[in-house]
Amino acid sequence: VREGLGSVTRSVWRSNRWQPVVAWFTALLLSGCAGAPSALAPRGPNAQRIADLWWLMLALGSAVYLVVVALFFYGAFRRQADASLSTKRLTWAFIGVGGVAVPLVILLTVLILSARTSGAVSALAQPSDVQITVIGHQYWWEIHYPDEQVITANEIHIPVGQPVALTLSSQDVIHSFWVPELHGKLDLLPGNTNTLVIEADQPGTYRGICAEFCGPQHALMQLLVVAQEPTQFAAWLDAQRQLAREPADETLRRGQQIFLGSGCSYCHAIQGVAPPAANGAVGPDLTHVASRSTIAGAVFPNNRGNLSGWIVDPQGMKPGNKMPPTRLNGPDLLALVAYLESLK
Amino acid sequence: VATTLDRLERTWSPPAGLMGWLTAVNHRTVGLRYITTALILFLIAGAQALVIRLQLAQPGLSILSPEAYNQVFTMHGTTMMFLFAVPVMEGIGIYLVPLMIGARDMAFPRLNAFGYWVYLIAALTLYWSFLVGSAPDGGWFAYVPLTGPEYSQGLNIDYYVTAITFLEIAALVAAVELIVTIFKLRAPGMAIHRMPLFVWAILVMAFMIVFAMPPLMVGSVMLALDRMVGTHFFNVAQGGDPLLWQHLFWFFGHPEVYIVLIPALGVVSSIVATFTRRAVIGYTPIVLSIVSIGLLSFGLWVHHMYTTGLPALGENFFAAASMMIAIPSGIQIFAWIATIWEGKPVWRTPFLFVMGFLIIFVLGGITGVMVASVPFDAQVHDTYFVVAHFHYVLIGGSVFPLLGGLHYWFPKAIGKLPSERLGRWSFWLLFLGFNIAFFPMHITGFLGMPRRVYTYLPGLGWDVLNLVSTIGAFVFALGALVFAYNMVRSARHGPLADDNPWGAGTLEWATSSPPPPYNFRVVPEVRSREPLWEQERWWASEPPAERQASIVADPEAGRRETPGTSLLDGRVMTRVVLPGPSLWPLGLAIAVAITFIGSLISLWLVPIGALLTYVAIVGWTWPNRARPQAEVNVVAAETPDPQREPVAGSEAPMWWGIVMLIVIETTVFATLITSYFYLSNGAAEWPLGGFSPPDLLLPTINLGVLLLSGGAMYWGDRGIHQGNQRRLIIGLLISFALGVVFLVLKYIEYSDNDYLWDTNAYGSVVWTITGFHSAHVIALLLKTLTVLVLAWQGFFTEKRNLGVEVNGFYWQFVVVVWLPLYAVLYLAPRWL
Repeated sequence: VREGLGSVTRSVWRSNRWQPVVAWFTALLLSGCAGAPSALAPRGPNAQRIADLWWLMLALGSAVYLVVVALFFYGAFRRQADASLSTKRLTWAFIGVGGVAVPLVILLTVLILSARTSGAVSALAQPSDVQITVIGHQYWWEIHYPDEQVITANEIHIPVGQPVALTLSSQDVIHSFWVPELHGKLDLLPGNTNTLVIEADQPGTYRGICAEFCGPQHALMQLLVVAQEPTQFAAWLDAQRQLAREPADETLRRGQQIFLGSGCSYCHAIQGVAPPAANGAVGPDLTHVASRSTIAGAVFPNNRGNLSGWIVDPQGMKPGNKMPPTRLNGPDLLALVAYLESLK
Repeated sequence: VATTLDRLERTWSPPAGLMGWLTAVNHRTVGLRYITTALILFLIAGAQALVIRLQLAQPGLSILSPEAYNQVFTMHGTTMMFLFAVPVMEGIGIYLVPLMIGARDMAFPRLNAFGYWVYLIAALTLYWSFLVGSAPDGGWFAYVPLTGPEYSQGLNIDYYVTAITFLEIAALVAAVELIVTIFKLRAPGMAIHRMPLFVWAILVMAFMIVFAMPPLMVGSVMLALDRMVGTHFFNVAQGGDPLLWQHLFWFFGHPEVYIVLIPALGVVSSIVATFTRRAVIGYTPIVLSIVSIGLLSFGLWVHHMYTTGLPALGENFFAAASMMIAIPSGIQIFAWIATIWEGKPVWRTPFLFVMGFLIIFVLGGITGVMVASVPFDAQVHDTYFVVAHFHYVLIGGSVFPLLGGLHYWFPKAIGKLPSERLGRWSFWLLFLGFNIAFFPMHITGFLGMPRRVYTYLPGLGWDVLNLVSTIGAFVFALGALVFAYNMVRSARHGPLADDNPWGAGTLEWATSSPPPPYNFRVVPEVRSREPLWEQERWWASEPPAERQASIVADPEAGRRETPGTSLLDGRVMTRVVLPGPSLWPLGLAIAVAITFIGSLISLWLVPIGALLTYVAIVGWTWPNRARPQAEVNVVAAETPDPQREPVAGSEAPMWWGIVMLIVIETTVFATLITSYFYLSNGAAEWPLGGFSPPDLLLPTINLGVLLLSGGAMYWGDRGIHQGNQRRLIIGLLISFALGVVFLVLKYIEYSDNDYLWDTNAYGSVVWTITGFHSAHVIALLLKTLTVLVLAWQGFFTEKRNLGVEVNGFYWQFVVVVWLPLYAVLYLAPRWL
């Protein structure tokens, strides 16, 4: 079904003289907006199917639109001497064909194509190898690989070319998981789970966005999906499965003591150092925090400056998030940051 | 003629001064108040939109804090949907419908005034919260659990739930008012197939309000209870379900979109007819289209919830329904194009707005079909694509016709002509600004920008598009200011308008501009859809003597009268006597406001407000001894016999008013029952928490008590219809006593319950349903008390008994509705 609709849509477009318009539009979306997590620059089969459906609907919709607007202006500006609709039967035919018959055919077409796409992109249609659990929090994402005993946050690694099933739920309010380049969105509900199957065609990092209003920092609740070749993915899993690295020197040991003594461990777990809270995570697991490329919900690059700033003044960087500021003197802060940076 | 006019003038003029201002009930006064207030709020919400656009002009701006931004976008949406769009459409309906159907006023003028005061108080309350910095911040859709007690602790959401619940009273009151007026007060001869298309649109809008608002009120009351008294309707941990809120909200929220669209379609029909100089082609298909849009719009709500993960089969059903609503819209578009084709358009400002409507709305309709597709919606839902889509639909479909309509009817309401030059400037600025602001948002959405974000990261490709949207928004705002300036300036300096400056065909143009307080010197007799085009100009002068009696050219001194006609063919049935200025509407509005909004201060204000409400209702409905017939409300005039008799039954507007009230209440109870089953279906065990199903003995006895009280009420009611005052009093006394017994047994039953409303969601829904029904019984007992006093005084007679009839009617409803509630509360837990 997947190839069917895609190829039908594509062949319609390939053979169509409107193709330059589409190409131009696509080029605008791609080049003019480089770096955008664009739903029209699909990098996975599900996003591709939906994009195909869109181009088809755009073609039909544009045709309808142009005809209606043209009829309006032609009718409004035509000379009275022109042929008229004045016989009653013609008028009724005009309303019947334009208002009922043609729309009915077009709508049924769209409906059938839409239902087919819907079936093809649904979780049921795609048996999946890798299982991942995503739990939404105000304003970050808790990620579990239940079969692998791996817990991380805000960064999902998946193997390229394999369907991956995400089990979505929420710890607090409703969030919505959306990686435009890979698939449409699906909500994370408290007390219920949804399943979304994503797949990436090629290696890369794809931005995900919370799409359901979830409070003051809804805007900066994002994540990254990193698609890797299967071997790299397996290596990543192996590394994530390890307990946290032991502090290698005095500074790092001091950093670990500060982590344990300054309240960090009330909310953040480090496997082998600080156990997770009994009634669910409050903040992201930091066992391998240094392996992640961003912090604070895929908002800031994970570097020493941002990490220090985030510890001391999280409310200044992302006002309204749940992390309280931690007062530390310079050397302590440096030690703590050095320790966190060692957690590869 | 002079004496007739003098008497009309004297009878219908409001008193002067502040008192006159506070007591005004005339539909044109109330309508203009609605429109002006709504337009001011439109400008305020527009200013909020500009602040939003400034904040988003560049990534990372901090003109607003995240909290402030959330308040601003919530107030923008809440104001536009609740405080602007619905009230302005109702206001236009209230202003125009009596003029278009040839009535002197609406069926319940005081209720009309009451509705406006409620609306005003609700608006002031919400903006008070905005001024003190704790405005609602959960979006106009207020999704739980974010808006629940756990995640929104300030007063912000409390303001939302109380003000919105309270505000819907105004919407419902106006809807009932419009329905009964259109049903019963049309000019003689205006059969239902001669009603202007605009009146049809208003009628359908009013019916939609009647069925759409109650579910929202039930939902917002549940949220208020969750927040204020600890119920668990939406609390997952205690068996509640957040999706129940979404179902209730969108069951209202989707029709809401069509509630503000359909009257605008009526405006388009009016403007198209006038400016093409011919009747709109396809009257019947257009009427059927409007009605079917109204019906279909109740079957679409789930398309707002595709991404919540509902079963795919159900989603595709809703996709089909959502797409099919394009057909009735298409019929209307093609009917207008055919009319324009056949006529010769005059390109004045109102017609320009119709052109803008067509270009924008059709595009929004097409993207609407797209977002109805389940998989496509998964990509664009909650992104700027949807922001673009619904602004195309709402601004294109609703605001452009509205502005065209304001320009069009301005000379009628104000008596001055608006400036054509400023009108054109405003149109082009609005049209270009709109498209510059909103077209790019389609692309912004595709590029991944979600809605309701106070800022965004740089480097995601969203910067330029957002800047363009911001520039467009300011061009649009400039257009709105030019439009407002045109209205204000023309009201002062515009050239005087004659009765029918555009050469239109409908009745509102048959009277002077602005119309006199009594609307028409002579209530016209209608024989066509465009009487001003197709009938001789007799309405300007004295009507032929033989018609005079039937069309109320000269009401008896001091009595406001308008003809009451039959529902379908517009035959004159009665003379309806309408009440004059009164302070009670304002008093009642304040009392009801204390009941609802008082809960923000202290829950004790709720019963105090309820008591004041009762006092105000008694004061309002107490018969005026000075004018002993006024309270009867309706006088028969089938013969021109001055010896008139009071009339009851379906000829009385009051009877229709009660029917509509019962329809609204039925919708409320149906929503509660649906919520009960929604919660029980989602529960692993029912009753939740291992409680056993309620005992049957006491409730079943109590059911019998309530049924008996209904019988006694009926017996007394029949008695007075035969002139037996004693039997009436005995019947009222028995049913009153049985009502008290019902409440006492209820108290005994529930004081024995081992769960409370805050135990779990089962307790919440059971206590709420029972409590709501018991509140009805209490209200009825109080109402019956006043009827008893009047009956004791011998007020009711064989002929004058509408008050008894209406009270009994409502009593029977409260009895009958207990049957399904009994089945749900006591039998369902055993069967489930």
